[in-house]
This record gives sequence, structure tokens and C-alpha cells, in this order.
Amino acid sequence: MKVLVDKEKCFMSGECYYNHPELFRMDDDGYPEVIENRLDQDLLRHAEEAVQVCPAGALKLEK
Amino acid sequence: MSEETVELGPEIDPRIFDSKEFQKDPFPIYKQLRDHHPIYHDRFHNRWILSRYWDVDGAFQDNGSYDRAMYKADGPYDFGSRHVFGPNILEYGNSDEHRRLRNIVAGQFVGQKLQDFIPMIHQISEEVIDRFIDSGEVEIISQFASQVPIRVISNMLGLPREDEDTFVTWYQDLIAGLGFGGEHLMRGLNARNEMWDYIDPLIKKRSVDPGEDLLSRICTAEIAGSRMSSDEVKGFVALLLAAGGDTTEKAIANMWYHLMYTRPDQMELALSNPDIWENVFAEMMRFDPVVHAQFRYTTREIPLYNDVIPERAGVILYLGAGNRDERAFKNPDTFDILRDDLHMGRENRSGRYKDGKNGHLGFGIGQHFCMGYAMARQESAIACSKLAARVKKPRPKNMVHPGISSPSIDSGGFRSPEELIMEFDK
Repeated sequence: MKVLVDKEKCFMSGECYYNHPELFRMDDDGYPEVIENRLDQDLLRHAEEAVQVCPAGALKLEK
Repeated sequence: MSEETVELGPEIDPRIFDSKEFQKDPFPIYKQLRDHHPIYHDRFHNRWILSRYWDVDGAFQDNGSYDRAMYKADGPYDFGSRHVFGPNILEYGNSDEHRRLRNIVAGQFVGQKLQDFIPMIHQISEEVIDRFIDSGEVEIISQFASQVPIRVISNMLGLPREDEDTFVTWYQDLIAGLGFGGEHLMRGLNARNEMWDYIDPLIKKRSVDPGEDLLSRICTAEIAGSRMSSDEVKGFVALLLAAGGDTTEKAIANMWYHLMYTRPDQMELALSNPDIWENVFAEMMRFDPVVHAQFRYTTREIPLYNDVIPERAGVILYLGAGNRDERAFKNPDTFDILRDDLHMGRENRSGRYKDGKNGHLGFGIGQHFCMGYAMARQESAIACSKLAARVKKPRPKNMVHPGISSPSIDSGGFRSPEELIMEFDK
């Protein structure tokens, strides 16, 4: 499983990196950068939450 | 963080922050702070002050160094909001508990869920305007700005419309109790208790038989399998009145104030263009927002401008000062709804924008960025554009106005005029 960021959709709301600094960080332009793609059970739950909360619908989980 | 050199300037007497003069017109002091004391140690109030745009922005972004709550050994320090609101999101600092509560409710105020409520905001704005439109005069705060947001919240929660006036009374008592304390505090707490008694059975009912309203959504929203407790829902409803009602009321008042008295030459533009009210909102949130200051506690030593803020120190982030920083905005002391260096429209928690412009700091930035930002902007813009469309030749009743003030600007006091009377042709 892997988190993907669609930069076209993203409007840099910051929800992902403020809620889940363990998975994302803000890059120099304000976009999220995925910093952890080895998702154990806990992190997978966090990633699912980030996908659900993203107001731009710019995140998805890919197998 | 900006690290340019600082030219020495006159000392600032920290007692100025308690003065009427500062509450009325803080901007000259803000400029002195930015230019000569970008890191200011206020020994009188035992706190530090940041005032430059990029320093305030940087502190908002830096969760590792600045926390919203002061932690004691056994948990976050209770800074009063629990006393009035019950358990609520404002108390949990940067903790996981804060994230849980925020994520349950944050989604209700953006995107499609917000759009579901928009037609109702249009309708309520029109109804409120109907009440005074034939009189040729409106006191904008009591008859308009304070009426729309609270009726909108009552409707969002799905309360019966016949209870709306009661809800407005609870709101007014609660806000008075918060703002002035003393005898008003008892009135505020009584209002809160009555409201909670009223809402308690509704929470029980909608938890098991939810509808499409906000109360049902809050009662049943789940993040990672966790719902809000009944007390948390009640705390949130009370908080919603202050954080969602009172602030929006004052935002609407400040928008009209600045068009009527600060830039009357831009009034015509706003009256003839319903789409421009999001610009009026954004520029008001930059030029003179409802909230000018946010408080943080340091979690470690912070070196800045050849000085060091110690660990566990109180820091005021003057976003009202950052918004007037020449380092971020051209002619910052000019109110201009056509400003080309300010990001207009949808704000971001990140404070970064694809158009490369700088955003106002009026909602804060980062982890504690205002949750109701999209709602506040859209509701204010809709209500104001409705009023603009219906008044003919509006003008201030009094050519001279005592101006905007704030009861306690540096403790998060909301800034707004006390009275604002507009005349128009019948």
C-alpha cells in the first residue's frame, strides 16, 4: 500500500501534514510530501484517515 | 523566519498594551514592534511578542516549538474555556486528543457538507433583511450582523425554527458572560445550562436516529471508530456559538465599517458587484481582523534575532501586526479590496497559495487554523452581498464614527465597532 498525492487536485489545505506528520511533510511550495510508505497497521489507519479528511480529495491509497 | 538586521528604536513601555489608546489604535505600536523589536520581551506581563509576518507565520507552522496549551505534569493547563464551554477542542493543545476532536468536526464545515447549507444561508439573510428594509435605516450590528450567523447555526444544527429566538437569547447571554465576566458571567452560565438541558434529549435522539443536520452529523461522525461523547457534543455546540457566531458577527460588522468609513470610495464597487464580497472579507481579515492575537507556549528554547525565548514561556503572536507588515504587503496601511498582493478566496491551513500571493493571517495558520474558515468567509460574503443588493444609496448615518475598538486585544478579545448605523433610501 502506498499514499499518492494528486498535485492537480491539491489546494494545499495542509490537513494531511498537520494531522499526520508521521506520514507527510510540507514541501517548499506548500504541497504534501509523503515521507513514509512502509505502512504497518497503525500507519495504514492514519493514511486512511488522511485520505478521508483531505478536503480536496487529492489523496488516495494504492496497492 | 526572517533574520534581517534590526535598527534600534525607542523603547516600548509595556503598560501601553493595557491602554485604551492601544485598544483603539494598535497599529503604530505594531509598527514599532516590527521595525525595532521583532522579538519583544514584555517583562511587565511576563510574555514575549512576535509581530513580523514571517515570524508569526513561522511560529504558527512550528508545532515542535509552540504549543497552544501549557502542559502540566498531569495534562494540559485549563485556561478557562472548559469552565464556560465544557470539554472542548480548544483545550487540548497539540495533542492527539485535539486531532481526534478536530477531525470529527472539521469536515462538517468544508466542501460538499458546507455547500448543503448554502441555500439556507441565502434564505436566512433575506429574512433578516426583511425585518428592517422598509425603515430606511439599520443598525448593522444588532439588526443584521448579530442575527444572521446565530440563526444559521441554529438551522444547521436542525433546531426547530420556532426555537430560533430562544437560541438567539442564549447566544447573547453566553457571549456577554464570556466578554465581560462578573454578573454577566452568571447570566452566561445560566444560558449555557438552559441550552444544554434543551439539547441533551436531542443528542440522545439523533445519536440513534440521525438526520442530515449538523447535530446528527456531529453525534454520529466517526474517525477511526471513535465518536464524540455527549459532553463533548454539548461543549462543541457552546463553542460553536462563540467561535462560529460571535466572530462571524464581528467580521460582517468590520467589513461594513471599513467600506463606510475607511474606503467609502470603494463602496460603489462593492454594491454593484456581488462577487467582490469575498475580496472585502479577505482584505478585512488582513487589514483589521476580528482576532488580532493568538497565544502560544514554547516547548523549547527558541533563538531568534540574537535573543532567546526560554522554554515554557508565553508568546503573543500578533497576527494583526503581521498583516500590516511591509515585508509581506505593499502599502499595508491602505484598505483596498482590489489589492493584487493578497490571496483572495479560499484560505489554507498551510498559508501557501498556488497564485504565489501572501494570505492574511486572520484565521491563524497550521495545526490550530480556524476550522470554520470556509463557512465564515462564505457566510459573511453571502449575507453582505444580499444586504448590498437590497439597500438603495446606503450611507453612514453619522459622518464621524468613534472607530473600532477591542476590550482586550492582546488576550484574544474580538475587535469590532460598538454601533454602526446605515441609512438608505426607502
